[in-house]
Amino acid sequence: MPAVELLRGSAAAVAAAVNGGQVTAAEMAETALACIGATDGRINAFTELTAQRAMADAAAVDARIAAGESLPLAGVPYAVKNLFDIQGLTTLAGSIVERGKPPATADAVLVQRLQAAGAVLVGALNMDEYAYGFTTENSHYGPTRNPHDLTRIAGGSSGGSAAAVAAGQVSLTLGSDTNGSIRVPSSLCGVFGLKPTYGRLSRRGSYPFVASLDHLGPFARSAGDLALAYDAMQGADARDPAQAARPAEPTMPTLAAGLGGLRIGVLGGWFKEMALAEALAAVDVVARGLGATRTVEWPEVARARAAAFVITNAEGSALHLEDLKTRVADFEPLSRERFLAGALLPSPWVVHAQRVRRWFARQVAASFADVDLLIAPATPCVAPVIGTEWLQIAGQRLPARASMGLLTQPVSCIGLPVCTVPVWGVHAGLPHLPIGVQLIAAPWREDLVLRAAHALEAAGVVRAPIAALE
Amino acid sequence: MSPEDIERHVDASAALIGLPIGPEYRAGVVRYFGIATSLAELVMQMPLAPDDEPAPVFVPVSPP
Repeated sequence: MPAVELLRGSAAAVAAAVNGGQVTAAEMAETALACIGATDGRINAFTELTAQRAMADAAAVDARIAAGESLPLAGVPYAVKNLFDIQGLTTLAGSIVERGKPPATADAVLVQRLQAAGAVLVGALNMDEYAYGFTTENSHYGPTRNPHDLTRIAGGSSGGSAAAVAAGQVSLTLGSDTNGSIRVPSSLCGVFGLKPTYGRLSRRGSYPFVASLDHLGPFARSAGDLALAYDAMQGADARDPAQAARPAEPTMPTLAAGLGGLRIGVLGGWFKEMALAEALAAVDVVARGLGATRTVEWPEVARARAAAFVITNAEGSALHLEDLKTRVADFEPLSRERFLAGALLPSPWVVHAQRVRRWFARQVAASFADVDLLIAPATPCVAPVIGTEWLQIAGQRLPARASMGLLTQPVSCIGLPVCTVPVWGVHAGLPHLPIGVQLIAAPWREDLVLRAAHALEAAGVVRAPIAALE
Repeated sequence: MSPEDIERHVDASAALIGLPIGPEYRAGVVRYFGIATSLAELVMQMPLAPDDEPAPVFVPVSPP
């Protein structure tokens, strides 16, 4: 199969072809760079290409293959949200404040691990400044456009990560998720996204947003590719203070185990009330596909979401306090006043929010005594038009940008693993737009969310086609 | 917190931590602080027991 066709297929197929000698990693890297060059003027997913490094890394992969090695991600072109350290480049985290700071002296741990697995880094991706947003309408670097409708947002804050995969520019990307920043863009761009359990993957070498809530994870066009990348990135890192002391637990061995024995429920209450018709329809599609009939309600979801908001506002602002004092005009206009306000929150609010979070985690843990998986919409609606200010949800006029995370925030607040799966054709007026559904499991059960996502994909219920870019 | 309380808090706490808030940003900061206040009310109204400890657990660092 030619490289240009392989690029449009799965990462697993690329790796098989490179390992088998049908194509070289160098050809794959050249093909991805050419595709990005031809398409990114319309999408604006990339903020930087690493062409020279990509060709050097690809040559190294080809040498390893020639020496008889077989690599799980051999020659797979990938890119990372520009908050991941890339050796030799300044880590921007979507800002202009970071411009001129020294370049990273080493790759982020997850970049090192993907490189060891044979993947080839081709560039850095657009995002909301410092990850504080759900839309990637970045005023400094321009908005990332949704490949399935260029007038609409890609979601955020990892908007470039989802758009690059949806556009077929690369097979795989990495992003971060503090309140929904993997799941929201996955939903709006129609790709698969995995937010692992809080503390699972090392965050070292990524620009933080909210240490209490930050997660890193992959985007891909299939559950199998997510599992492949996720397994390659697992492993202990004693220098990430938030990483849990757990062994790697590979998900590939059980990926195709099917749905047998899984008890699956649909989240009600808040997760229905804050969703528009297309999000509810998408949940119905997935619930039917998984045979889920029972409804589960978590207590005090609105308070858990509020706790995540308060913690985010306070910790995010404290991190940037010195720059907020001295160069606030350089901050993103869409978030700088939120950052300023967050620096002024009274400490009892933040401490109480951390206690509410623990209380909520304990209640939710009890709910998993009866179910293995829970289903909820990932976003309240399909992708809004770029610049949308307000949405009507649950009879309330709500700010559109913040509301994109209403359904993801309560879940990341307590660190549960989630795979977002893309559903199509559920909005009668906008049938070309996807919307994502969250498959949620108890902590450390990434295997279950990926297994269910794979089963849905195999049954044709969910899919991630490359956008036509017309 | 009344709107006036919020404005007073924003001005006083910004001065306390040495955070200048220019006139072009003040209305936005007051608005966002008001949003945080309403969400914080939801959080603060949640009754908790003494053993509902904060979520992050400090991990002591051993010497290398």
